[in-house]
Amino acid sequence: MDEDTLWSIRAFVYQHFAETAHPPRFDETASRFGLTNEQAAGAYEELHRRHAFFLEPGTHHIRMAFPFSAVKTTFRVHANGRTYFANCAWDTLGIPVALHTDAEMDAVCAQTGEPIRLRVRDGQLEGTDALVHFLLPFREWYNDLPFT
Amino acid sequence: MLFFRSEEALEEWLAAHEVRRGAVLALPELWQLTQPWYRDRLSPDFHGRSMEQVQEIFKQAGLTSEFWGAG
Repeated sequence: MDEDTLWSIRAFVYQHFAETAHPPRFDETASRFGLTNEQAAGAYEELHRRHAFFLEPGTHHIRMAFPFSAVKTTFRVHANGRTYFANCAWDTLGIPVALHTDAEMDAVCAQTGEPIRLRVRDGQLEGTDALVHFLLPFREWYNDLPFT
Repeated sequence: MLFFRSEEALEEWLAAHEVRRGAVLALPELWQLTQPWYRDRLSPDFHGRSMEQVQEIFKQAGLTSEFWGAG
C-alpha cells in the first residue's frame, strides 16, 4: 500500500471519530477506499505499528486514536452535540483542542470520586483548580498504553 | 494520566496504590501543553512527530526534567 493511501486512511479514521465519536470498522474503511477487508486490516496494523492509532490487542478494532477513546471511560467530553470519551485526563483537554471547539468535560477525582467539571469557552479553560498526575515518565508511555 | 481534586487526594492515592509520585501539572499548565500537542491532530497532514519535535514541545512548555526526556 502506498504512503498516500496509508495516511489518508489515518485521516479518515480521525475524521470519522470527530464526526461520530466512534472509529470506523476496518470493513467500513475498506469500502471507503475501495480496498479488500484484508488490505484495510493490514493498513490498520501498519498504522498501529507507526503509533498513528492503537488497536485492541489481537484484533483490528481501533481502541485509541489520541485523544479519542473507542471505549467508554470516566473522561467525558461533550462537544458539537456529541459525547466523546477520552483516554485519560490529558486527552480530556485534548479533545476540544483537536476539534477546535467549545466543550464541557466531566471526569472524576481518581482518589475521592468527586466530580471534576471543566469547560472550554472561546479557547479558554474554565474550572481550573484540579491537578493532573503523570505516573510514568515519557520514555515509558508507549510500553503499555491502557496503563499509561 | 489522572485527575485529582487536591494535592491531599493525590498523596492518598499514591499511598493506597504504593506507587511513586510522577509529574504533577496544574490544569493551566497542562492546557498550555495541550495546544501544540493536539491542535493539528485532525489535520490530514499530521503524520506523527519525531522525538526531537516532541522534546521541543515539552521544552516550550517548560518541561525539561528527566521525566520528560526521551531516555
